Amino acid sequence: MRPKRKIGLVLLMMTLVLAACGGGQSKEQAGGNEGDQEKVKLTIWHNFAGDDLRAKSVRSFIDQFAQDHPEVTLDAQAIPPDGYRQRLSTVAAANEMPDVFFVYAGSQSAELHQAKLLQPITEVLDAHSDWKDKFLPGAFDPYEFEDGQIYSAPLGMSATSILYYNKALFDKHNVKVPTTWEEMMAAVKTFNDNGITPIALGNKAPWVAQSTIIGSIADRVTGTEWFKKAAAQDGAKFTDPEFIEALGYFKELVDNKAFQEGANSIDNTQAEQYFIQGNAAMMISGAWTLTNLAASSSEEQMKDIEVTTLPAIPGGKGEANTISGGAGGGLALSSRTEGKAKELALELIYAVSGPEAQKAIAESNSMVMYDTEIDESKVTSLYYKAFNLVKSTGITPVYDAYLSAEAAEVINNGLQEIMMGGAVEGVAQKLQDAQARSATP
Amino acid sequence: MPTAMRSKGFIAIALLPALLLFLIFVIIPVFWSAYYGFFSWKGFGDATFIGLDNYREMFKDPIFWRALRNNLILVVSSIIGQVPIALILAIVLFKNSFFSRFIRSAVFMPMVLSTVVVGLIWGYIYHPQFGIANYVLEMLGLESWTRAWLSDPKVNMLAISIPINWANIGPYLVIFIAALQNISPEIHDAAKIDGSTGWNKLMQITLPMVWSTVVVTIVLCISGSLKAFDHVIVMTGGGPAQSTELLATYMYNSTFSVYRYGYGSAVSTMIMIVSAILIALNYFATRRKSS
Repeated sequence: MRPKRKIGLVLLMMTLVLAACGGGQSKEQAGGNEGDQEKVKLTIWHNFAGDDLRAKSVRSFIDQFAQDHPEVTLDAQAIPPDGYRQRLSTVAAANEMPDVFFVYAGSQSAELHQAKLLQPITEVLDAHSDWKDKFLPGAFDPYEFEDGQIYSAPLGMSATSILYYNKALFDKHNVKVPTTWEEMMAAVKTFNDNGITPIALGNKAPWVAQSTIIGSIADRVTGTEWFKKAAAQDGAKFTDPEFIEALGYFKELVDNKAFQEGANSIDNTQAEQYFIQGNAAMMISGAWTLTNLAASSSEEQMKDIEVTTLPAIPGGKGEANTISGGAGGGLALSSRTEGKAKELALELIYAVSGPEAQKAIAESNSMVMYDTEIDESKVTSLYYKAFNLVKSTGITPVYDAYLSAEAAEVINNGLQEIMMGGAVEGVAQKLQDAQARSATP
Repeated sequence: MPTAMRSKGFIAIALLPALLLFLIFVIIPVFWSAYYGFFSWKGFGDATFIGLDNYREMFKDPIFWRALRNNLILVVSSIIGQVPIALILAIVLFKNSFFSRFIRSAVFMPMVLSTVVVGLIWGYIYHPQFGIANYVLEMLGLESWTRAWLSDPKVNMLAISIPINWANIGPYLVIFIAALQNISPEIHDAAKIDGSTGWNKLMQITLPMVWSTVVVTIVLCISGSLKAFDHVIVMTGGGPAQSTELLATYMYNSTFSVYRYGYGSAVSTMIMIVSAILIALNYFATRRKSS
């Protein structure tokens, strides 16, 4: 009896192990299948997972596509933004990209392209040229990895350095809204004297100061040309005096206590709340703050808030009245998707980033890189002001969209270091080293 | 059946599933990751073999040493914070009265909370403008002591170690109470007859009897502190300017924010080596004491 039972057990174990090994393989090749009768399987990954209007409207366009195309089995995964990059790089490492996926403009999509995981979507853009032409200038810049080949169409615009200010506080303390650096420093002093934080900043996630403040200030000092050269490490370096000067302006803000104490340990959302509750007179933040405030505060609180650009800097080489920003993320197509699946995937991209979708996104209090008219009654008053402000200003590059991932990390941490009393030269040197490392592999 | 249970073959088969899972999800990945540590690899695309360059770079990087130092601060703070406090509480709360059961549950509470919740709660306690910590200090007239606890690099590691200790005392308390209950009543009786009470009994009877448990908890403290990650990620993310970076957050940041999988793998291998060394040190240090 005993030996038999043993053999039975061993066999049972073996079957279990084998079954476990075999499970993963059956789903393969669904994407590339041609055959008219068979359903085409498409997967899409995106980060519009939230409950805000924009995420909801993007999801509704995806659902609409699924309804209009019964021949497609659509597997749509909404992944919360915090974990999205990691999820995508994990599947990228295993070369198991979904057919269509949301990518960020800048180093992330560039690195995916370098790893040959993307293919161009130029054909769908050319097929709808009226759609293509209405994108704002520069919309495709971050996605044109080869001449004439476009890899994604942006679903949004990142305007990262809008100066929000509380008009009531400015009036009460009789301060002029700063248009020059001198007026800015005067405003900082007056508010500090009256016990009001001049500028709210939540820099716990350290990209905030870089994305919202330094990009714009530095562009005013150095000019865009210089930055592009320095990013390419071609004829300019981050240790050049103009960049040191730009960092110096940031240090001047820090030294004059423009930011509230402990700005490095509270996050951006907390800073927004601090500002909207009237504890701070200004906040330098991106268009995402419009979306956040629309979701979390009342019209009453928002009616005192106005938007403008950062002040001009005397003697700077760059233009004033600009906002740092650029094309936001968009949907990209996996290089593994072929045949019928590819056709449908391109249609899906058009459905989610086409003219109607762009308008819907713009009307959900979120900027787009697309020339569209919005209905004032559908959006918050603050968003409407910002929408018109951004239409009338120039756009300058956001630093981390051009720097390598490593260099972006270095400048992010470097700004925190300056806020803790570090020297600007050391930070500039570290940034230069990091960017040089990645520019010359 | 009882004979079958005892046979070695059956034991091997019964262990097989657990062993397989452990092998596939723990042992093999550990070696795999150690192997990646020799490559320059972005996580996708081509990997190039660079030998020990990752380790060389690590030893030259001041942030690595700062992360290691911060980890050692955590190790020390958890050994002198968690173990004695848990032991004292266990001795005091050993009785099964309502009061001691209540306190025991209260001490265990934070363990039940998700670390993210703990991190957020303490983030608010330390909040530079609205935090309770600063508010209480002001109430006591200690305005000069108020500060931005999590962003001032002089104190932020200390500020972080408090919630970590607070959240981790619970399980040690349970372990110590179990150990105290294992001391057989005869020994207590014998001690009573010999006239050993109070402090003398604690030092001569109780502590030696639970010493092996203390050693185990110290090992747990060391490995726990070296793996520490979640509280820090929630409270500071390793910042500002990497002043609260731990080995684990350093590894995470270099892997997933900077896309240097090879380097990150080298760092995680290093974490394992450092914990092995510390645990070995602890083993030798406490063995001498107990003999």
